[in-house]
Amino acid sequence: MKETDRKAYLYIMPSLVLALLFSFIPLLKTFVESFLTISQQGKVLGFAGLGNYISLFHDTAFIASVKNTVIFILLFLPLNTFFTLLAATLTRRKKSLTAIPEFIFFTPLAFSLSALALIFKEMFRGKVSIINRLFGLDIAWLDESFPAMAVLVILGIFLDFAFDYILLLSAFRGTDRSIIEAAEIDGASGATLFFRIELPAIQNMLAVIIFMALKDALLISAPVMVLTEGGPFRSTETIMYYYYLEAFRSGNRATGTTIAVLMVGLSAAIMTLLSRRRRDV
Amino acid sequence: MKKLITFIAILIASLSLIASGSNESDSTVVIWHSNSGVIGNAFETIVDEFNDTIGKEKGIEIEAIYQGAANDVLTKVKASATASLSSLPDIAQLDATAALDMMNSDYLVLPSDIGFDTSAIMPSALESLMSEKGLLAVPFNASSLLLYYNKTLFDSLALTPPETLDDFTAIAPLLGEKDNDGNITRYAFAGVPATYELGAFIGAQKRLSYFVDNENGHTGTPRKVLFGEEGTFKNFLEHWKALYDTGYVNNITSGVSTEFAAGRTATMLASSSNLSTVINTVAGRFEVGTAFVPKTDDEATGGVNIGGGALFSFSSSEAVKTVLEYLTSPAVQLEWAEKTGYMPVNTELENNPDYLAFLESNPQFKVAMEQTKASNPKVAGVWLPSAYQIYYSFQTEIRSVTENNKDIDQAVSDMVATVQKALDDYARQNLV
Repeated sequence: MKETDRKAYLYIMPSLVLALLFSFIPLLKTFVESFLTISQQGKVLGFAGLGNYISLFHDTAFIASVKNTVIFILLFLPLNTFFTLLAATLTRRKKSLTAIPEFIFFTPLAFSLSALALIFKEMFRGKVSIINRLFGLDIAWLDESFPAMAVLVILGIFLDFAFDYILLLSAFRGTDRSIIEAAEIDGASGATLFFRIELPAIQNMLAVIIFMALKDALLISAPVMVLTEGGPFRSTETIMYYYYLEAFRSGNRATGTTIAVLMVGLSAAIMTLLSRRRRDV
Repeated sequence: MKKLITFIAILIASLSLIASGSNESDSTVVIWHSNSGVIGNAFETIVDEFNDTIGKEKGIEIEAIYQGAANDVLTKVKASATASLSSLPDIAQLDATAALDMMNSDYLVLPSDIGFDTSAIMPSALESLMSEKGLLAVPFNASSLLLYYNKTLFDSLALTPPETLDDFTAIAPLLGEKDNDGNITRYAFAGVPATYELGAFIGAQKRLSYFVDNENGHTGTPRKVLFGEEGTFKNFLEHWKALYDTGYVNNITSGVSTEFAAGRTATMLASSSNLSTVINTVAGRFEVGTAFVPKTDDEATGGVNIGGGALFSFSSSEAVKTVLEYLTSPAVQLEWAEKTGYMPVNTELENNPDYLAFLESNPQFKVAMEQTKASNPKVAGVWLPSAYQIYYSFQTEIRSVTENNKDIDQAVSDMVATVQKALDDYARQNLV
């Protein structure tokens, strides 16, 4: 081993140890536990084989949580991408007054997740809610399945918006001006300039944002916990929230570990697939 | 050099933080509780009074830590128990959903283990916490389900609160109100019954009916669902559907008290512990009345079960016993009941002139106690695993039956399957 190599390993050692200790070893342990039956106090009761997996796939509530998560992803992913891109596009040129919208768009970053979720809960509470009064609506937001999911999506966008906006804005501003100027000289303007030149220039950053949004959507649980507790009628119960319920509330630890293993597998598969596609581009 | 000194200073400062965290003497009693809002203030006052008087004399200090709703406290207790016993509090205030886990846990200290004297505690509150191991915890905040109603409205219509669901169905169209466009501006009832409400609607049938075997889980981990084959859930659904079909039941699962306080529903079902909070929220816009929970049918005479919470201990020190005795003493229970709406668990208060005078001037607070006395003490809360999932499943089935005309027999068998699966899962993963 060369001296420089040894040095490199030395530098990554702390992260490696942490990852091993807090990610890989627990992952391995969880993987093994998913084939056992385990009491909530951690006592191993016996070998279950594929029993945990089979019973999970026969669990209608789990299937429903998968469905809810898919609905959430399908709503969240395009809307989140659209709105952050729109906001960044409109403010991409630095002018004297852009500081004002920039400030407004950055602000959500300063609030914690649970505080925002609680504020949303109050804003949408009951038919006499603030939102209904403001917009003259008559919707029982958190008491009907689809509106509750919609509120969750809005909250999700609100939570991710500021960070995504910063990334996109800096990508726009970081684009080499000479390309844009060259295009302008060639006569490109408006939509052509934006869609043919500026958007392709930030596509890598856009991909990163979609990646992160997908990850957030797939693993969403904390906003659900605070905002809807999976209700009404379990219509906003996502996979990770269901995992929390089974593992920590109901004392079905084996079910919990099984879901955890499946989710790690699924996330890893999606991420590998997407990053491979990205390399092709 | 300067940097090094700063670094060492910070290091020492942070180390002393850790040290002070674990520097708790034996006489500190940590209580994890779930009291917030009006109830939280009342609890804090009670704790402060202890620390200033008895606590000071005996060198005991209560450290009360709010840990979220009752089920959050349970989640945290279970998580700490898996980590290490030393991270558990001395006392945790938990509700009926915790009972099954506590009954099967190795770390619970029973009231009998520390020689706690229960002779002055309300018998039905004790009954509600009785298990195969004996009494699990010390009753502290006992409550029962009540029918809250807009008394001003009922009086103006010359109506009295319904005694059965059939009565309710008969008067619901009178209680409701529509505007000129046909939109409902006031419902007769808001809410979708779940486990807690069904405790009365199912439990009271035929004077005593259980959800599951082993006396609702009190004499052992439940293994079999009973509300299906005994026809009690079906009977309830039939009566409830009739009430819903009047068109004046609002199937909402959140913000029910907000709707009630806004005058948009004439009645609601809620725990007696909400009484002070509800009266505060209504703020005199109308008079709040409380009544017995309507019976499912004429034969459903079992009444209601005791709900609310109790103090589970995880430490057997003398200080814990002193604190438990203080919290259930007549003076504290009187203050607690007056400020919240909980029923006092100390029977010595029954003839206490202060308490009687309070009830005389606040008749709404009397109903919970009267209803509990009229109830069969064997009608007890259900101890189930997967309490959350079952709670929402009940609501889902009731909504399907009422809104989507789902076949009642189908709804019953689906519900039985859900609960049976929860029982089987729990047994498979937690019992040898």
